[in-house]
Amino acid sequence: MLHLWLSGIGGLLQARELMFLTLGMAMGLFFGAIPGLGGATALALLTPLTYGLDPFTALALAGGVMGAVPMGGSITAILLNAPGSAPSAATCLDGHPLAQQGKAGLALGAAASANAIGGIIGTISVLAILPIAKELVLLFGPPELFLLAVLGLIVVATASRGKMLRGLIAGTFGLMISFIGYNDVTGALRFTAGIAYLWDGVHLVPALIGLFAVAEMINLSVKGGAITKDAKAVAITSMTSGLLETFRHWRTVVRGSLVGTIVGAIPGVGGTVASFLSYSLTVQASKNPESFGKGNIEGVIAPEAAINAKDCSCLIPTLAFGIPGGVEMAVFMGLLVLHGLQPGPLMLIDHQVEIYGLIWALTGSCVLASFLGLFLARPLSKLTLIDSEILVPTVMSVALVGSYAVDRNIGNVIVTAIFGILGYLMIRFDYPRLTMVVALVLGAAAERNFHQTSMMSDGNLSIYLHRNVCLVLLIGIVALLVAPLFRGLKRAPAAGLAL
Amino acid sequence: MIDRLTRRGFILTAGAAASLLAADSDYPNKNIDFIIPKAPGGGFDNLVRVIAPSLEKYLPHKVNVVPDNIPAGGGGKGIGQLYRARPDGYTIGAIDIPGSFILQERQGGAGFDLNKITWLCSMGKPEYFCLGVGANSPLKTLADLQALSKTRPVKFTSSGPEGTAYGATVIGTKLLDIRTQLITGYKGSSDFVVGAIRGDGDAVIAPVTSLRPMLQSKTVRVLATFEPKGTFPGIPDAAALGKPELGQILLERLIGAPPALPPAIKAILSAALNKAMADPQTVGLAKKFEVEMAPSSPEQAVARIRENAAFFAKWKSSLMV
Repeated sequence: MLHLWLSGIGGLLQARELMFLTLGMAMGLFFGAIPGLGGATALALLTPLTYGLDPFTALALAGGVMGAVPMGGSITAILLNAPGSAPSAATCLDGHPLAQQGKAGLALGAAASANAIGGIIGTISVLAILPIAKELVLLFGPPELFLLAVLGLIVVATASRGKMLRGLIAGTFGLMISFIGYNDVTGALRFTAGIAYLWDGVHLVPALIGLFAVAEMINLSVKGGAITKDAKAVAITSMTSGLLETFRHWRTVVRGSLVGTIVGAIPGVGGTVASFLSYSLTVQASKNPESFGKGNIEGVIAPEAAINAKDCSCLIPTLAFGIPGGVEMAVFMGLLVLHGLQPGPLMLIDHQVEIYGLIWALTGSCVLASFLGLFLARPLSKLTLIDSEILVPTVMSVALVGSYAVDRNIGNVIVTAIFGILGYLMIRFDYPRLTMVVALVLGAAAERNFHQTSMMSDGNLSIYLHRNVCLVLLIGIVALLVAPLFRGLKRAPAAGLAL
Repeated sequence: MIDRLTRRGFILTAGAAASLLAADSDYPNKNIDFIIPKAPGGGFDNLVRVIAPSLEKYLPHKVNVVPDNIPAGGGGKGIGQLYRARPDGYTIGAIDIPGSFILQERQGGAGFDLNKITWLCSMGKPEYFCLGVGANSPLKTLADLQALSKTRPVKFTSSGPEGTAYGATVIGTKLLDIRTQLITGYKGSSDFVVGAIRGDGDAVIAPVTSLRPMLQSKTVRVLATFEPKGTFPGIPDAAALGKPELGQILLERLIGAPPALPPAIKAILSAALNKAMADPQTVGLAKKFEVEMAPSSPEQAVARIRENAAFFAKWKSSLMV
């Protein structure tokens, strides 16, 4: 095994491979930072250009892109509340409030270091589980995926403490939106009002750009001034302060990395679930849950660690069975096949050196991009001092063009605008956007897997009790639901004594 | 007055004809949109992305051919967009048959009529299907499967009801006299094949190219192939099963343009596409997807569609349940 790991590293440490890895990293940072572009667009553009490259070099280039996209996404998420890609939206929740407090450098530094550490932990985890990858992928069928979606929804709902009712309202609204469009199971079109754009449902990335970037810019233009008024705080931000925060919260990093690794390895779940689940679990575990959403550095570290760990582990279902976790992985699969690497069980046996090379390329790119992020933290944080008169029209234009660029559809721009207004109203009336986003992401998957489970079991719900992974997930769900009651009971006698 | 009108009519007609001729000789002078009514990353998408750069080489003028994924509504939106595009040669699309026929029947309001599409050529040889189970399944032979169906419906994992694999499963199991219940909604052939391996269902019917790698890695056991002459040693084929109709269940990938495409533009596109598909680079890359390129004329493509449509029309009532 060790010689295969070393062969992978050895293959990568050639001048040509390193050059393409760095090129991929630069592209990944750029495409990740522009809302609406992301890794899938970068890979789709690069794929035809790799025809002339040997497979290993092409993988170094692709690994470079995929490893750096999350860092690019974090930069705009923190500075402008504009997530470069859907998973980065979780970083907006606390990253941007930090930027508003003049601590953009701190948030960027923490994001960069959490990115790198998450990537490394993800790599170690994947190297450990790769030999049992096939078995792991086969553990998760429709019943497990349904319960996982329910678990995700409950984690997020219980994370919105103090605003439970508002959280549930926002989550229910998100679920309703997620059911719009084509039903994969029955083949029926639902709730589309005859609008062809809605056949594919409400696209996630344009909705997130609206909910975060546009909503924030509306808010900023109403308030006036710059994102932060604390120029002094921006000036004193040092490169290492974010790095130190990440090490101080090492439990959050490890938890986020493990969540990312596990979620990434489950076929068809995707990075957005990983980042939001990691964020919500961190809120659950915190002694100060009310500080989240207002600029808690753990709210940046948790999703960032998960996103990069997920990037490595989502290679498992892609390579082992050809099931991509998202659009980026789907495009990457096309690149693999063009270079004679057919994803499937045989790939794990026949192309181990290439797989390890790819894993190292992803990790290398992630660490390089994070270093770059650390160095750029201070100059980039000065963007938050730009006056809204310049910033708002610029960001609005980039957000709307980025939304259009997702699949060159004007309908995306309308969705972004509608969700922008909705997001602003949610900020204004203090409704949590987190529950709505997670419901949007998980709703359709929960419905599909529930239908499939019912077809598997002829509608017999006891199927959930006869599968080991389901039992573990059910215990987790019950624990999450019961925990607040216990906390309440514990507090009640204490309150009684005080009286 | 009549003379004046006639003269004006003549001038207008001549002008229009001249501009059409000029347009043909000028064609193409802007980018061509290549609609893919499937999500990025699948076999269908990959094949178009292999052909597009070669097509650019063989068009009379240098323009870009831009792949455009429009997967919504099980592909109905993409095909509808192709159907309604201007017939000027700047929008073409890839369409899978018979899945798109099923889609047309199911989504009556989808706004396209495959009989009116201008067919340009086919994209590779048609693919046959085969029937498999997970390697750990207790079902060892087709007879086991048929025996099971006498006690309860056999569960098959499959795509949504609009998919070609769905059609193949419904027709194939009826021909093989297997009572079935379909577990639908899987996203792509890899997904529903893995569903069967995992035990979500008892068996799966999938294109030969999807099951062959799984068989080689010993994760799947193939019980029957629908090929007229089988390529799996020791596995019964359509002839051995005494069901030659199984060989008519085919996955066809064709390229079409909007209805009423001018013949001159149709000829240019068809010729360029055929040259692109015979290009050694395209042939080599397509082979990696296990697709054998087989250039065809528009007439051959239409003939294949008619044959395919006639076969599936016989099963319409079963497919529309």
